Amino acid sequence: MNEHTKVIRPETEKTGAWQKTALWIFRLTALLSGMALFFPPANPGRISEKINEAASLFTTGISRETITNSMGRILRSHWIQDGDITLLMIACVIVMLGVIACAAGACMSLGNRKMQRRGLTLPLIGAPVMGIGLFLIHRAYRNMMAHGEEVGKLDTIRVMLPDGFTVFCIFAGLLFVTALCAFLIMKPEKDPAAKMEMDEKYRLFLMMLPVILLSFVFAYLPIWGWRYAFFDYKPGGSIGPENFVGLKWFGSLFNDPATVRDLVRVLRNTLIMSGLGIATSWLPIAFAVLLAEIRSTKFQRTVQTLTTIPNFISWVLVYAIAIAIFSTDGFVNSFLTNVMHQTGANTNYLQIADHTWLKMLLWGTWKGVGWSAIVYIAGIAGIDQQLYEAARVDGANRFRCIWHITIPGLMPTYMVMLLMSIAGILSNGMEQYLVFENAMNKDVIEVLDLYVYHIGIGQNQIPLSTVVGISKSLIGVTLLFGANGISKAIRGESII
Amino acid sequence: MSKKTKEPAMHIKRTAGDWVFDTAVVILFVLFTLICIFPFYYLLINTISDNDLVTGGKINFIPMLKDAAGNGVFGVQLGNYAALRNVQDLGSSVIVTVVRTILGTALMVITSAWAGYLVTKQKMWKRSFWYRFLVITMYFNAGLVPWYMNMLMMGLTDNFLAYIIPGMVAPYNIILVKTYIESIPSSLEESAVIDGASTLTVWRKIILPLSIPILATISIFGAVGNWNSFQDSLLLMNNRPDLYTLQHRLYIYLNSSSNLGAMMSQGGTVSEQAAASMLNQRVIQYTVSMVSIIPILLVYPFMQRYFVKGIMLGAVKG
Repeated sequence: MNEHTKVIRPETEKTGAWQKTALWIFRLTALLSGMALFFPPANPGRISEKINEAASLFTTGISRETITNSMGRILRSHWIQDGDITLLMIACVIVMLGVIACAAGACMSLGNRKMQRRGLTLPLIGAPVMGIGLFLIHRAYRNMMAHGEEVGKLDTIRVMLPDGFTVFCIFAGLLFVTALCAFLIMKPEKDPAAKMEMDEKYRLFLMMLPVILLSFVFAYLPIWGWRYAFFDYKPGGSIGPENFVGLKWFGSLFNDPATVRDLVRVLRNTLIMSGLGIATSWLPIAFAVLLAEIRSTKFQRTVQTLTTIPNFISWVLVYAIAIAIFSTDGFVNSFLTNVMHQTGANTNYLQIADHTWLKMLLWGTWKGVGWSAIVYIAGIAGIDQQLYEAARVDGANRFRCIWHITIPGLMPTYMVMLLMSIAGILSNGMEQYLVFENAMNKDVIEVLDLYVYHIGIGQNQIPLSTVVGISKSLIGVTLLFGANGISKAIRGESII
Repeated sequence: MSKKTKEPAMHIKRTAGDWVFDTAVVILFVLFTLICIFPFYYLLINTISDNDLVTGGKINFIPMLKDAAGNGVFGVQLGNYAALRNVQDLGSSVIVTVVRTILGTALMVITSAWAGYLVTKQKMWKRSFWYRFLVITMYFNAGLVPWYMNMLMMGLTDNFLAYIIPGMVAPYNIILVKTYIESIPSSLEESAVIDGASTLTVWRKIILPLSIPILATISIFGAVGNWNSFQDSLLLMNNRPDLYTLQHRLYIYLNSSSNLGAMMSQGGTVSEQAAASMLNQRVIQYTVSMVSIIPILLVYPFMQRYFVKGIMLGAVKG
């Protein structure tokens, strides 16, 4: 990026419609091929079915381990030669370099004429580089084919030319043609002293682009995983038309007796625990209001500091503390033995499933109430003191002051918190319940998030857990927008 | 946290009811505060007392060592902490967690500062669309299993980078930075632009120094989050126990039924090994817990004012 390019001369000549079209097709193709680098189904380098289905072109280029992790015997017996895999990796890196050059060209094509012309020379080199890389992939494919035939193991190594190969050929061709067209149509810059410049709006956008792409890859791309919900997918297997099952898994949420039983139990736990959380969501307000009644600032600050600490330790540590206090050899039992002189006190309270919901609520309160109160404490500090003075002059006692001034002053904040927790009623998170879970309380502690983890990661039921996850996400978004709508209607202000 | 005194200097007679009420409130808060901090103290005294006394359940309120007759007397020892050197796999977890906390936090803060600054730029092409594009990810996620399959697809399973890269874009922190930067007078930036400073220079020389308070806030939040991270390690590092985070390692220790003393590695002298094998499982669990709590407790007094600032800024809608 050039320094000192703030002042942009207005573009006097209009760019032609043809050139504009060519440029936009070029940019779009460059963007798509850039994303396809990280998109396994479009991997041109998957020239054998034995290459990991989850490997993208990028991964194929940089990680030999990923390519070969499911072909142990094939490699040991040299049915696929190491050299061919190296060739494949080099070829993938070359394709990648070509794509990067094209992408850089696409970025530069947002600049002024001089920069555009410079930028467009990049794909004119980059697209042929992609072609060379693709040619080398094809070469690796033919080598493998020939070698497989030689050793008679073609059936085992399953050499193929993936769809991604065709896709990338089309990309390379399209990039080259559109860039060439745009380049040829474009008039050269007349002023030889012109500098490479770019309109500020595009410059800012390009600076933002890496962040946008990161967000896309880690927050939006997972939605692509929703396709597992429509297939009979087993880990390590593949998905295709042969195991497409449509809405079968969605149906099983209502039809399959075992699933329905689990879901009812899990939803009961989820709703009860969230419900208890919402029912006690006034506690931080009570905490803040009562704390404000104490005159000593030093006392207030100390309490606030010390009660906030538990919020900053992880649930694993909370569990460690629970063990220290409530296990067989924990504090409670040794206190009963040593101080109360009670004999035989060796109950492991953590293994008792009674009142699990209440216990989880208490742990959550222990961890969170001090922290949640901070926002209300600050809210109280922000209430106009004159209100209190006026109320006192009118003869209000402190309870009336709290009831008629403090609480109404905190209500707007509380409403936001309440609506957010209603929107998140299905999302309790799984950490707390995972760490406290044991054989005794399994049935009453398993919330939706933990259930998804258990069936998805623990039991490898990818489609079913995906379906549950999708339903949860959609309900969550609906609730959020509902809550937002309510907030807009009542308070005239949105919460998101 | 500066608190204005609630009661204005008015001379109201305090009734007996007021006294009772005040006393009750103070007692309530003292009790709750004790409940909040006693467990930490209890963990601590169990790690610095004589291990036999701990195992025998003799430690309740003060750390104790054995006297000549074998009775407990007040005293402390730090042998358990020294013996942690020999606890298998703990070292790698500590290193992984420390590196992750430093690197992950630094990259997250830089990204948030950069993105938070750029989204204040009205001139950006489709600015509000991209801003919403980032922010909406706070409220929506594809679900655990699709997320896991995505990480698998990216080659980020059994890979240290999985701790760093996905956490770089933190929408909530971007909102905090954006809100903060919007409160900086724009004249500062404008004058620099007139003097010919580029966007990058303005960001580096003007925006970054002025937004240090908010950057401190988000880096503390980020560091605590990284230090406490457990779920990503649990989900993604199945074949790489050497990349487990400290919390994950502690989780394993807490759930292991075998005697951790037996898990000691072969390193160390004979006397060290003897000392190590005297450790029982509980003591190791407590000591490792203390090790992962201590950094948070140490930085806590310094970070508290930033926490408060952060949550207040968060209450301002982005």
